[in-house]
Amino acid sequence: MMIGRHLLSSAALAGLIAGGTALASAPAAAETLVTMNTVQIFSSIDPAKISDYTDYMAAVNLYDGLVGVGYDGGIKPELASSWDVSADAKEVTYHLRPDAHFSDGSPVTAKDVVYTFERLLKINQGPANLFADVLKPGSISAVDDQTVKFTLSKTYAPFLTTVPAVFILNSKVVEANAGSDDGQTYLATHTAGAGGYLLKSWDRGAQMTITRDAKYYRGWGDHPIDSVHWIITNDEATVKSLAASGELTMTSQYQSPETYDALKAMDRFKIVKQDTAVAFYLKLNNQKAPTDDVHIRRALACATDYDTIRGTILPGGDLYGPLPKVFSDFYASDLTAPKFDLACTKAEIAKSKYAAQSPVPITLQYVAGTKFEEDIALLMQSNLEQAGFKVTLQPDPWNRVTELATKLETSPAVSEVFFGPTYPSPDSMFFTQYDQKAAGTWASLEWVADPAIDDLINQARATADKAKQVDIYKQLQHKLVDRQSDVFLETQTVQHAMDKCLSDYKAIPMQSFDYDFKLYSWTCK
Amino acid sequence: MEFLLFLVRRGLWSILVLVGLSMVIFVIARVVPGDPARMALGPTATKEQVADLQHKLGLDRPIVEQYGLFVAALSHGDLGRSLLSERQVTADIRDSFAATFELVVATILLAMTVGVPLGIVAARWKDKWPDTVVRLIAIFSAVTPTFFLALLLQILAGYVLHVLPTTGRLEHGTSFVPDITGLAVVDSLLRGQLSVTLDALRHLLLPAIALAAATMGQMARITRASMLEVAHQDYIEASRAFGIPDWVRVLKYTLRPSFVPPLTIMGLEFASMIGNAFVVELIFSWPGMAAYGIRTILQKDLNAVMGVVMVSGVFFVLVNLLIDVLVGFVDPRVRIRGAR
Amino acid sequence: MAVLSHQNQEARSANRRDRDQESAASSADRRDQDQAAPRRVSTAYQSWYRFSRNPTAVIGAAIVIFCVLIAIAAPWITPYPEHVGAVVNFKARHLPPTLAHWFGTDDVGRDIFSRVIFGYRISLLLVVVVLGSAIPVGALLGMMAGYFGGWTEIVIMRVTDIALAIPPLVMALAVAAVLSPSLVNSMLAVAVLWWTWHARLVYSITRQIRTQEFIEAAETLGAGKAHILLREILPNCISAIAVKASLDAGFVILVGASLSFLGLGVRPPTPDLGTMVATGSSFLPDKWWESVLPGCAILFVALGFNLLGDGLRDLFDVQDVR
Repeated sequence: MMIGRHLLSSAALAGLIAGGTALASAPAAAETLVTMNTVQIFSSIDPAKISDYTDYMAAVNLYDGLVGVGYDGGIKPELASSWDVSADAKEVTYHLRPDAHFSDGSPVTAKDVVYTFERLLKINQGPANLFADVLKPGSISAVDDQTVKFTLSKTYAPFLTTVPAVFILNSKVVEANAGSDDGQTYLATHTAGAGGYLLKSWDRGAQMTITRDAKYYRGWGDHPIDSVHWIITNDEATVKSLAASGELTMTSQYQSPETYDALKAMDRFKIVKQDTAVAFYLKLNNQKAPTDDVHIRRALACATDYDTIRGTILPGGDLYGPLPKVFSDFYASDLTAPKFDLACTKAEIAKSKYAAQSPVPITLQYVAGTKFEEDIALLMQSNLEQAGFKVTLQPDPWNRVTELATKLETSPAVSEVFFGPTYPSPDSMFFTQYDQKAAGTWASLEWVADPAIDDLINQARATADKAKQVDIYKQLQHKLVDRQSDVFLETQTVQHAMDKCLSDYKAIPMQSFDYDFKLYSWTCK
Repeated sequence: MEFLLFLVRRGLWSILVLVGLSMVIFVIARVVPGDPARMALGPTATKEQVADLQHKLGLDRPIVEQYGLFVAALSHGDLGRSLLSERQVTADIRDSFAATFELVVATILLAMTVGVPLGIVAARWKDKWPDTVVRLIAIFSAVTPTFFLALLLQILAGYVLHVLPTTGRLEHGTSFVPDITGLAVVDSLLRGQLSVTLDALRHLLLPAIALAAATMGQMARITRASMLEVAHQDYIEASRAFGIPDWVRVLKYTLRPSFVPPLTIMGLEFASMIGNAFVVELIFSWPGMAAYGIRTILQKDLNAVMGVVMVSGVFFVLVNLLIDVLVGFVDPRVRIRGAR
Repeated sequence: MAVLSHQNQEARSANRRDRDQESAASSADRRDQDQAAPRRVSTAYQSWYRFSRNPTAVIGAAIVIFCVLIAIAAPWITPYPEHVGAVVNFKARHLPPTLAHWFGTDDVGRDIFSRVIFGYRISLLLVVVVLGSAIPVGALLGMMAGYFGGWTEIVIMRVTDIALAIPPLVMALAVAAVLSPSLVNSMLAVAVLWWTWHARLVYSITRQIRTQEFIEAAETLGAGKAHILLREILPNCISAIAVKASLDAGFVILVGASLSFLGLGVRPPTPDLGTMVATGSSFLPDKWWESVLPGCAILFVALGFNLLGDGLRDLFDVQDVR
């Protein structure tokens, strides 16, 4: 089963499973190994090039950043112990921990931070897009060995939440191996950071193994995980076999419900469910027929059987608008639940400009090979055809979805897409999906192009006043719900089957940061 | 001497074929929609980043110029860099090819060592029950879809009976790296690590069976048919009249000339085997070139795609050349006739 | 090898033709003696007679005919023909085989038996599309290469070699990417490579008979090139082509199923056997019927074509067709 990349690029709440027995002095202590399967290969571990979910899963263990993200989405110290923001929110200064050191023992200095960011901007891939228009090359400076100053080119409120995405490199090591490409070749197979784990082996298409660095600067708890071994799997049968043979400790979050049931039946596993900030939408093309008519969009919203989808096909949480409830401070709690009512669908079609064309032809795209997406598509088709639509299903491999999304003419009318915040701020949900500047990606298949909405997004970015931000984001939510830019299906509830001895998995609303194995522990002997 | 000339001529034609192949695939890979730069950068990349990378990759130059650069690099043995793995394509392919090669060799060995004896048995006891049993096995192994068989084997042997491992090439936590020949079985023997050899063989068994089934059936049928054909020859009758014992007649006089058709078939089967290898590698998570090929095609990792196609093309051509040699070796008549 | 067996085949066919003529002549003689008017036994009847005595051929033909008939009659003989369309029934998901649903239901509650029968339509359609395009093209090119020789032969045969060196799956994926992933597109991609086998086969046969006397005779009499190709050479290739086509049909079905398995199948909700095996495989081994039964259906029809091809091969005594 191939899962689209869009799933894996959005932030997923996942718990980390910490497991492991203390190594330290006990001579014959057993090493704790966690084996986890993943459905996509790791494409890169170079901090300047990682871009998706799976990459971050490895990188968050192999490297540390200036700051990290907590369970509530808050920023917490890592290499930096504290930070100050200037009054106009254009200067941010980070103070590094004096005892922070890389895995080769050398201390982490401001020079390394400057080098990491400058290199990122120069290579211009991976998380560089988070800082476009915000950080210009040369605007990061080392005030002294332990202090780094960022000078932003404009007020950008979400800046603090984007910094965790950049992992700090050991500049001496990278410069020594820079070659002709700023060390890209070197960092494609080696690490040079201050992370809790070291890269032991990596067979690109099949597996990756990392082992604990006992000398990690932040230290370890009582029951750390000593090794993590990721296995790439392509289908459910493999996962079940691995579980049955005792090899698997934890599944990915992308297995089918039947696999979770099968693993639950094996006594060794428990199923851990967590609500996430990842939203599942039917993205509607706001500029192309027939979804360019708001009545058609409302018709589609009425024709969606929310209960069956949330209850039977893919268990998930409520979603009434573009922003998931997890962003509790910014969430518009006066939004109401959408209803499934085919009479409403018929009425809305009659009000639209396509009423004469009944049955109205419409294309529904989903990621090929994903069982539940197909099930939802079939369900939609079945309901819509009863109400006056003629549905053509369009299963596409993920790369084609991405390709088609680059142009308005080729973007489908309806597309099933998961999207979650790439940094723990509501700006990530609104800008990437609805702002005109972000048009042309799978995340912005709505092609909303509304200057009023762009305006609001910019206002929220330009103010450091939280109360104003809350007001603006609530306005945005109402605007988008009124124009029915999408059908809001549900928020994703991640499920993992994990060994009962593994615990402390908890969702973090930032990429795959919840797979930080430093946070987990192994509670069996 | 004439045979040598024949081989040289075949060799030269093969090179021409490979050149043609490279051009065809080059054009296909670039004409196919999908922007490698965008795919490599991920979904949140900005337009400027994409344009930037396109320029770095030389994708904005005319296609003829791109091909010229490709050939120039190829003459140095440089297949370029993979977009996804950041390593030299030659390195990526070397690793994945070794895995596929090991699987294919095991498959061929299995198909021949099981198929040919079955064919001999069927021919020897023609129209009696061993013949019928062999023919049934052959038929069913030829018509069972490879992916179906692979799934069934994986579930039965791995999930239900737990007797064999179901994924990968070696035990998951192992630190053994086959760096001498690239073949886990061979390298572990050379190093004297017999437990690893056993492990490698256990992992190899299920995928090889799944892949070998169809070919094994064909081998059995062809061996049977060609042995029966040879058995009608006068010199075989004569040898029986002369009182030469049964087993000598079968193994020495009948078998050798019968060997030609199975060998020729091997060359043809080989092509479909590569195709089926894709599915088997996918199902068993075998880290081979087929899985690598699919991934790079879907991701439009152009250098890698070119590398995969060229390597498999060269491999295919070499194998057929080898078969021509073997056939010439086994059957002197072909040597003479082929040189004309 | 091909060279060797051709000679044998020729010799044997020549013997057989002689023997047939003899037996035809002798039976005609006998009848002459019995009756006043002579009657010849037609070759068509002889072929039918030999065919019906060959068990593999008969079983193969029976299976193929059975599959074709149920595929054609699908809308009328299946219990739930609407399940191949936009129908879902989440309350009846994953039901095991029962009297109500002979093959059980899949994960959106559709009857698998009905979908398998309709799936045969797609499989057989593929056979028609691929072979229908590959055989004429391949045969024509092979004949031209074999008869005209010279540059025609060189160019055609080298192009064939190149096409043979392309991994078919790569071709299918590439074409699927260009034309959008659908089964017919992928199979056209495979057809583009498939003609090469037929071209090679016809080429070797043509080369054999090119030097024979009846060709020379036709040329001397001033027969045009087209006439020679189509009326003299082609009839001699028909039997080999028929055998290969029959064997190929099985392979086309298997290749098509493999492509669907990888995700290049028909557009849902249309049923297609390879896709059904792939989607059902996630539920192995508990809900085995969703994957195993469509897989057996593929096996069944491929078996039929294979047996038929084997039978035809024995019948026409064609040795060099694989």
